[in-house]
Amino acid sequence: MTQAPLLRRITDYANRADPYPLYEELRRTPVLQEEEGGPYAVSSYYDILGLLHDPRISSDAAHLTAPDDDELSEPEATGLPPSFLRLDPPEHDRLRRIANRSFGPPHRPHRIDSLRGELARIVTGLIDGFGDARQIDVVDQFAHPFPVTVICRLLGVPREDEPRFRGWVDLIVAALDPETRQSGDPQFLRTAQEARMQLGMYLAELVEQRAREPRDDMLSDLVADHGPDGAMSTMEVLSTAVLLLIAGHETTVNLIANGMLTLLRHPEFLHRLREDPALSVRIVEELLRYEPPVQLLPQRTCVADIELRGITIPKGSRIWLVLAAGNRDPERFRDPDRFDPDREDLGHLGFGSGIHICFGAPLARLEAQLALTELVRRLDNPRLVEDPPPYRQNAVLRGPRHLRIAVDAVRPSEAVRF
Amino acid sequence: MRLVVDLNKCQGYAQCAFLAPDVFTMHGEESLVYNPRVGPEQREQVARAVAACPVGAIAVEGLREASDAG
Ligand code: HEM
Ligand code: SF4
Repeated sequence: MTQAPLLRRITDYANRADPYPLYEELRRTPVLQEEEGGPYAVSSYYDILGLLHDPRISSDAAHLTAPDDDELSEPEATGLPPSFLRLDPPEHDRLRRIANRSFGPPHRPHRIDSLRGELARIVTGLIDGFGDARQIDVVDQFAHPFPVTVICRLLGVPREDEPRFRGWVDLIVAALDPETRQSGDPQFLRTAQEARMQLGMYLAELVEQRAREPRDDMLSDLVADHGPDGAMSTMEVLSTAVLLLIAGHETTVNLIANGMLTLLRHPEFLHRLREDPALSVRIVEELLRYEPPVQLLPQRTCVADIELRGITIPKGSRIWLVLAAGNRDPERFRDPDRFDPDREDLGHLGFGSGIHICFGAPLARLEAQLALTELVRRLDNPRLVEDPPPYRQNAVLRGPRHLRIAVDAVRPSEAVRF
Repeated sequence: MRLVVDLNKCQGYAQCAFLAPDVFTMHGEESLVYNPRVGPEQREQVARAVAACPVGAIAVEGLREASDAG
């Protein structure tokens, strides 16, 4: 029997629980194009880092020459313009700068820091909600609701509306999965485009309301802002809001769930974290290397021929930057398959790098640090009920669908200074 | 604690200014200003900022000691 091509094995759901041996195999051919017209997969740390900073690499779907590319963010197709995730400079920079004025320094230096108390209250409430249960699904009861609540609060989207937007978000995210795309069902991709439109229309109601009655939230700031770059158009506000709502939770869910799973597989660090909350900082950075929630960036193209390791990647080719493979590149990290929060050098590609480096990274870090610290402090004798757990379908945004654990008790909360 | 930022390495990603806004401040888009002498009450925020700096530009003297004391 001949083996399926490596990239297809990587995206194959059957390998979701442990793709790392496949990434090791992939790194043996650091620039790999397996199938005519298929993507060039780049898997070594320094090559990925170099390309993330290379202006010849584009995130803009418009540069694709491959014929089968049905783009979700194509303006005619969805009515919503692409978000800055899918744009190049100068448009990317303008929109990201305006968005940042409602989020971080220099204009809003305290917005994230000042959320810390509220984050702690949300976490405490969710853990209190476990009640007397002896078995808990860490995903459904904690890792999912926590970041959803936070991003809703930050944007100003009513938390109780999740049932309205959940279906749209799930469809948009599913369409990012290469396995779904490879099946090439045009009907499905149209449905996903519809969903992005519907989500935009739902957010338009809220944006309109905030334009009339501003509150202390990002939607209000996004519509009202008139900084040095001028204002976003209404359509730009909507595609930015769609991006923030989705990017703001779909990844953090996986970081928290991967984190708890990894700590349960490495109890030494679970015990140390229980004694020393400050260790959460290193644990979260090492998790972003060892089990990154965004495994690969499948949406880059090159706008000029690129020479890499003696191979010419022709202009217009699609490129996959396999962050999770670079994160375990032995050229960069000693003993890369070991989970070791004590390593001196924690530099990882978990948030990407360069101009598209994760916009929400400071928030994601705080959320994950707090979530893991509180879980290990309050759960008495937590154990995995099944290992590996069942995974979500998606190969790009990878994480457990459920994480069932057994506990002896849920301890009452004590004030931890965080 | 005393801290030093290697401004040749610093890329102005502002991660530090999000996580320890009373210690690191951005002036404009790219230039970072910081207070080199920080009190122990800032220990946790500074530790978060050090770990988050994507280019490892922040060095702190006395962070571990402050941690042991706290
Ligand atoms: C553990 C959690 C997270 C991980 C692992 C993560 C990862 C990433 C990565 C790898 C990128 C780069 C994409 C690329 O280069 O094409 C990115 C971009 C982005 N992330 Fe995150 N992210 C997380 C949480 C968040 C949160 C909480 C938010 C919002 C509050 C957010 C908002 C964004 C946005 C808006 C971009 C696009 C930036 C740009 O194109 O300039 N992310 N993220
Ligand atoms: S996080 Fe690092 S690179 Fe970014 S502004 Fe601070 S010191 Fe500079």
